[in-house]
Amino acid sequence: MSTTLPQQALCLSAQDRLVRGVRLGFPIFLGYMPVGAAFGILARSWGFSPIQAVACSATALAGAGQFIGLSLMKAGADVASVLIATTVVNLRYVLFGATLSPHVRDAGVAGQAALAFSVTDETFGVNINDLRRGTGDGWSMAGVGVVAWTGWVAGTALGVFGSGLVGDPYRFGVEFAMPAMFTALLVAQAEDKRHVIIGIVAAALTVICMLILPGKWYIVAASIGAATVGSAVYR
Amino acid sequence: MRSEYVWAVVIGMALCNYAVRFIPMAFLARLELPAVLHRWLSFIPVSVMAALVVGEVLRPDGRWLPPLQNPYLFAALPTAFVYYKWRSFLGTTVVGILFYLAFRGLLG
Repeated sequence: MSTTLPQQALCLSAQDRLVRGVRLGFPIFLGYMPVGAAFGILARSWGFSPIQAVACSATALAGAGQFIGLSLMKAGADVASVLIATTVVNLRYVLFGATLSPHVRDAGVAGQAALAFSVTDETFGVNINDLRRGTGDGWSMAGVGVVAWTGWVAGTALGVFGSGLVGDPYRFGVEFAMPAMFTALLVAQAEDKRHVIIGIVAAALTVICMLILPGKWYIVAASIGAATVGSAVYR
Repeated sequence: MRSEYVWAVVIGMALCNYAVRFIPMAFLARLELPAVLHRWLSFIPVSVMAALVVGEVLRPDGRWLPPLQNPYLFAALPTAFVYYKWRSFLGTTVVGILFYLAFRGLLG
């Protein structure tokens, strides 16, 4: 790739687009490693076998949902309650799937089935930004998904098997990796005056929703509220 | 914890999380969405990002931090500016972490 002209992007091979996605998703890898490690350490100390902890991260890829499941299990909840709680926590993925849906039509059902697996807050942010710019496609989404999944699973394995090896990752400030990436994605989405204003509306609604709603429900509530204001005001 | 109990949760969690990710995406991808819904969805990304930034910055790890002692808040402002000027996600993430380390050091 000697040039970055936009029309060249269309000529990239599937492999190049996949690699491009891996590069785009690399900040997610940085952010997931330490959180995955924290999950691995916690799961191990609360009675998961190493293989169960890694399998959970590899198949659920559920961030907050996994931590909540873990704490309910520790409290002795039955299987159904644990599953309902983790699913409810991640219901915002419904909103993400709906927003991504017009962009993944060409991927077909099999492609959608593969791409849906790696939908998280972080991959959604990176992918929707890329897709709206017209530079992303199914292959780049797959690359973002692969690198995010690898960070989460490798982090969990690190926590399970070798938490003593790296010491405390927080001394490197990795806890700011996700906030920094979200900040960049927010600026990237504020593409015109309308989107800047709706972003401000969403931020204000978020603070209100954080004060009155439990857990991560503020994300769905504030987003639905702000998008509704946006589509009502800007016709 | 009993091994069968953990496996039941691990397998169930995988299936439930996959269902909430796949079903809405696949179902809506088959439909021709009305213009009003397209317009509504066009505001979702900026709204979700604003909610994620505000949530992560004001209440990191689930704890509200006082604004003037919050290194996340102080670091987010120059981080936003760096992305605005530079347009690189990885570069902005790395520089953002450096801003954060600086403010964490300054604010104790």
